[in-house]
Amino acid sequence: MSKKLSMQQRYSALTRGLDWTPTYVDAEQVYPYTRFEGIKVHDWSKWDDPFRLTVDSYFKYQAEKDKRLYAVIDGFVQGQGHLSLSDAKYVNAMKLFLQGVTPLEYAAHRHFAYLARYYDGPGPRFAALCQSIDELRHTQTEVHTLSSYNKMFGGMHSWPQQFDRVWYLSVPKSFFEDAMSAGPFEFLIAISFSFEYLLTNLLFVPFMSGASFNGDVPTMTFGFSAQSDESRHMTLGLEAIKFLLEQDEDNVPLVQAWIDKWFWRGYRLVSLIAQMLDYMLPRKVMSWKESFELYFEEQMLGGLFADLEFYGIRPPKHVDQAIGEKEILSHQVAWTLYQFSHAAAFTTTVPDAEHLDWLSEQYPDTFDKYFRPLWDKAARIQEGGGRYFSGGLPQLCQVCQVPMLFTEPGDPTTIAQRENLYEGERYHTCSDGCQWIFEREPEKYVQAWLPVHQILQGTCGGPTIPDVLAWYGLQDGDSGEYVGSLDQQDWQKWHAEIEVGS
Amino acid sequence: MGVRSINGEYSFPSRSRAELYGDDQLLHVLWRGNPFVCSAGTFRVPKTISFEEFVTTVLEPWAGADPDFIPGSEQSYQLDLVDFEPDPSLPLQDQGIGHKSLLSFEVSSYAVGDHSA
Repeated sequence: MSKKLSMQQRYSALTRGLDWTPTYVDAEQVYPYTRFEGIKVHDWSKWDDPFRLTVDSYFKYQAEKDKRLYAVIDGFVQGQGHLSLSDAKYVNAMKLFLQGVTPLEYAAHRHFAYLARYYDGPGPRFAALCQSIDELRHTQTEVHTLSSYNKMFGGMHSWPQQFDRVWYLSVPKSFFEDAMSAGPFEFLIAISFSFEYLLTNLLFVPFMSGASFNGDVPTMTFGFSAQSDESRHMTLGLEAIKFLLEQDEDNVPLVQAWIDKWFWRGYRLVSLIAQMLDYMLPRKVMSWKESFELYFEEQMLGGLFADLEFYGIRPPKHVDQAIGEKEILSHQVAWTLYQFSHAAAFTTTVPDAEHLDWLSEQYPDTFDKYFRPLWDKAARIQEGGGRYFSGGLPQLCQVCQVPMLFTEPGDPTTIAQRENLYEGERYHTCSDGCQWIFEREPEKYVQAWLPVHQILQGTCGGPTIPDVLAWYGLQDGDSGEYVGSLDQQDWQKWHAEIEVGS
Repeated sequence: MGVRSINGEYSFPSRSRAELYGDDQLLHVLWRGNPFVCSAGTFRVPKTISFEEFVTTVLEPWAGADPDFIPGSEQSYQLDLVDFEPDPSLPLQDQGIGHKSLLSFEVSSYAVGDHSA
């Protein structure tokens, strides 16, 4: 062997050559978590991971990307870049991103670090290690990128606390904790495959394209910086599923059930993105329906699942119900957030006339018929000096933890209610998908920390709404109606100063 | 199937079980056929409250967030998805309205006002 190893030789030496078989203790004691799920692995060396980088070259690439990002952030701050956003309203999308997505990156960092210790094979351990480092970098760059907005806008100051406490953030939090408390293979199918492969474009692209269309250069740059990592993560998801399916035929039904569960869990989670795309972006990118058709129906159902059929894998259970909701989902979720934004760390408002017309164009079969009348009535209330907020707390789904706002398949006017009695206690779910998930593992979901039930139990700071909002760490200007909010007032003041000065 | 766990045991209490609410209970209330109210609401109420008092102190103030709501217009009650005829004078617990029950109603009439405050 020559003194200097080729890149490929170095990669192999690093990721495979340093592995050894334990002799002092049983392998099962060293790797105790990879058997109880029932997955059978016969040959770990068949794992072909997508991180074909050695640690030194990995750090070199990432450092270069970081340098570019931090230069953009500096330029943005020095050049008063926040004034070039499309509107202060846009920042609500970034509040949701910082509160709901950034903590998931950190959770992913933690859990991939755990997997990097506990998978039996050196290939998946190294892949998990690299992804863990990626996820930590994403957390840090997102926090740094958005910290320049924190100085200017409300709602961004206490996101880690809010992730743990605020009602709508229990949707992403419980999603990820469901995965982290499962076995290591279910986690891989949940996060690497179902989330990062199946649904990642629905999650990530809307935020980053939204940033690009709305003058948010730092977030867009972060998006580019993370994109090459995300494509590796997607490849890992695909590699993971193929590896498990090829190792043993008995793995197929287990993997299928996880796909069925995690598709629906992830789909319910991205309902927050659906409303963000259609309602929070002042300059539109594409509608949720268009995004769902392109990134999910065309690319995943048309492409990926056609390939997976070879292994005996079929499209996710309840996928037809997801497709059936594409014309109504974003509107129902946005309408819900509108009437509960007095308890949220972002603001909402009635879409203006141009926005309403765009929604009519994008959703010709549903918007004018079902949803425009709601916004018209809310607008009339606002014109009269009022503001419609719900007078109570919403009933939550025991599984996805989204308010029970979803409607019966094919009937957009009847709220769906699914009920189960388990050990004498009633549990409600929002859909056939969530009910099916509950019925598979009721022992797990009875432990759900449902924010509304906790508030009413008195574990969230006190009995009144102001007590709870204080416990959430919300401050003046974080919540409620956008029109007249501190963000809007500041925005108008800054722009008036520019006009006077110019 | 149930949860697969590393030691074969997996049993934990519900985080919303009745005993955590003392003399009270949770009750979900849904206004059927009114999309303006996006979802059912969840309330903590005394088990011994009469249905009538529940309606005037909890249900109607909640429904009143919709300015077109007319108090007293509630009809066609359902309890846990089945048609239900409430007895106004009886406590909730004496007519089968249990912890985390779902009570739903429609309205007989609905104002269409100009919503000026």
